[in-house]
Amino acid sequence: MTDHRIILLCVIPLVASLVSIALINRRAWSRLVGVLSFTMMLGLAFSLVLKITDAPEEQSVLVSQMGGWTAPFGISIIFDSLSGLLICAAAAVGLGAYIHSFSILDPRTERRYYHPLMQMLMFGVNLSFMTGDLFNLFVAFEIMLMASYALLVIGTSLKQLRQAYKYILLNVLASTIFLMGAGMVYGMFGTLNIADLARIIAEIEADPTRQLPAGFNALAVMFLLVFGLKGAFFPLWFWLPDTYYTIPISIAGLFGGLLTKVGVYTVARLFPLIFSSNGDMMTNSAGQWVGGTSSVIMIILAVAAAFTMFLAVLGAVSQHNVRKILAVHVISQVGYMVFGIAVMSGHALAGCAFYMVQHMVVKCALFLCCGVMEKHAGTDDLDSLGGLLKRDWPLAVLFFIAAMSLVGLPPLSGFFGKMVIIREGFAEDLWILGVIGLVTGALTLLSMLKIWSYGYWNPDKAPTVSQPQAVKSSCRSAYAGIVMLVGFALFLGFGAEAVYKVANRAGEQLENPKTYITAVLGEGAYEQVDVLIAARTVEPEEQVAESIAAPQVSTEETGPEDEQAASELPQDLAKRLIVENPPYTVSIPLGKHGSIIAEQAVSTQGALWPMPWITQTDTGWEVIEE
Amino acid sequence: MMSSPILRTANGIIFPLTLLFAFYMALKGHNFPGGGFIGGLIAAVALMLFRMSHGRDAMTRLMPIHPRVIVAAGLAIATLTGLFPMIYGPFFSVEQEAMPMLRSFAPYVNLGVGEPVHMPSALFFDLGVLLVVIGVSVGMIVRLGEEIAPDEEEVAQA
Repeated sequence: MTDHRIILLCVIPLVASLVSIALINRRAWSRLVGVLSFTMMLGLAFSLVLKITDAPEEQSVLVSQMGGWTAPFGISIIFDSLSGLLICAAAAVGLGAYIHSFSILDPRTERRYYHPLMQMLMFGVNLSFMTGDLFNLFVAFEIMLMASYALLVIGTSLKQLRQAYKYILLNVLASTIFLMGAGMVYGMFGTLNIADLARIIAEIEADPTRQLPAGFNALAVMFLLVFGLKGAFFPLWFWLPDTYYTIPISIAGLFGGLLTKVGVYTVARLFPLIFSSNGDMMTNSAGQWVGGTSSVIMIILAVAAAFTMFLAVLGAVSQHNVRKILAVHVISQVGYMVFGIAVMSGHALAGCAFYMVQHMVVKCALFLCCGVMEKHAGTDDLDSLGGLLKRDWPLAVLFFIAAMSLVGLPPLSGFFGKMVIIREGFAEDLWILGVIGLVTGALTLLSMLKIWSYGYWNPDKAPTVSQPQAVKSSCRSAYAGIVMLVGFALFLGFGAEAVYKVANRAGEQLENPKTYITAVLGEGAYEQVDVLIAARTVEPEEQVAESIAAPQVSTEETGPEDEQAASELPQDLAKRLIVENPPYTVSIPLGKHGSIIAEQAVSTQGALWPMPWITQTDTGWEVIEE
Repeated sequence: MMSSPILRTANGIIFPLTLLFAFYMALKGHNFPGGGFIGGLIAAVALMLFRMSHGRDAMTRLMPIHPRVIVAAGLAIATLTGLFPMIYGPFFSVEQEAMPMLRSFAPYVNLGVGEPVHMPSALFFDLGVLLVVIGVSVGMIVRLGEEIAPDEEEVAQA
């Protein structure tokens, strides 16, 4: 369903960043603009999610085509349940970290474009959650990364610069591979639109006479490498702990909550829809048709999930700094999400969506707590922390709730995510992953208790940098941010049923792409697949070969028959467009969907875009010679 | 930074010509290769050459505003152009229908002289892009120039 309001989720932070550039030297006004922007994003995203949750299936995906250009050619902005959930969580986390930063950041640092950069970061994040094609995903990533580079070095200490250099180098490498991959996708399928790609792949899967192009699995691995690096999967997570160790703690909280999840989101979006395919038709236990999954990708995802979960949690147990423990835990938790994606059933994907949301909120809350702990003790080294329970019991309560949510103690939010993912793992024969998930949970508890007992329970031996009362009064906004996020975490735990309603819908949409494809490409875009499947279940082979409509341009040598075909063009347009361009004849088979686009392009431009050398004249079609 | 009389004199011709070419490229970009980004880059080359030939003070005199204002103004123009149809569509257009962001209008505007001019709304978007590119590159030139300034004085003394 078309709803043009969704793009406002990107426009709000953009406008806010412009306004805060104008107000760069007025701190209070900049802060007000930022808080307003985050609140508006949160409110808008929340209302849109409420709207699509109760809507019937054909209205459950909101689409806006930028500039009114139809789907595979224009820029599509898509808001479905998964995007909605994540944008809500991103806005909440952003708001919490932003409020928290008021009492953490040095005023001089704050003037170095901190406010505009935060808004630009949110712009990139929201755009990557909503974009409908691969190239715009790349653009959104770049916007987000540019802002994150600048935020990484904000305040410029030498340590920060050293780590930022590593981060920038890795991300530039990943972006290059991403761009190469996008180019290869365009070469193989002639489209970059995610829904269009999913449609083509679904048609290939349903059609026994066609095969996926060679190198498709290699392409999938390339994309996995890129998103794995951004999302900090198993062999590619080495950049994360050191980077998050050096930056101001509010920004570390935001990055730990948001940035890796954008990588995981893209895997959750692209792999079930497109890249995990092996080109075969398969049905699930309920008899519905689902695409066949490639064993190579499945194995890579499962192994990545297992190692990410387990090795990272071991790393967390061995660390002795609060920041490092939390940073390494980000990786370990990403493992659970990849686990959910690797199982690739609708319920597991729903669990993955829920887990992403809860992890963003809880992880950010923990980082923010760590910020106040550092204010109390002047350090985050566990050896010199202690006695915080006596000094500051509200902080201890907030930290305990957040930590237990991360571990997944039953009434709290982490439990529901882990339970669904692990249960699905056992159900789908990935019991090894399930066991590793459970062990990881226990070790998570151990490392969280380590912070708890050293930092809060131990006798007070810290060199008291500042008096508790002074810290409390200087950290009011920090407490506000933490309370807000912990409140959200409690809501996710006690209101898990309501959130799961949205998450289940997200899982269904990811598992069965029909709703998504129809919403983006228009009615009838998926008919070809249905026809092929019906033909295949009724009578195989000949019937299917008749109705193939491959969206590709083939070039053949000229022959006398083709001239005849060319003269009959306008009548035959719905099926096949043959254009003579000596010495070649271009033959363009058009599916039902393809012909609609061709007609539109012809009526608006007078030429068949993207082949401008073909134009319509009064008598028929004409080829313009170069 | 060294600056020779030859470069300075030649730049008297090159600078306006390059700016004109940049403007031409920016306008041409609606239907042909070119556009705001390309135009902005060419204009940035002109400005860079100007900075090399005339020095930092002349650059500041030529462009007295902070580059970040130019960037922000360009982004604001582009954003407003994008937002215009979203407000115009449902409230002011004849059909009263919702329009997506960045929808383009291509009216022929009668300027009173000669033929009506084809003036697509994408022109304003391109203008925004042009300003962003110019602002960013001027910002970089100014920043790089700050490092070089002390050497320049030495050269002048010698």
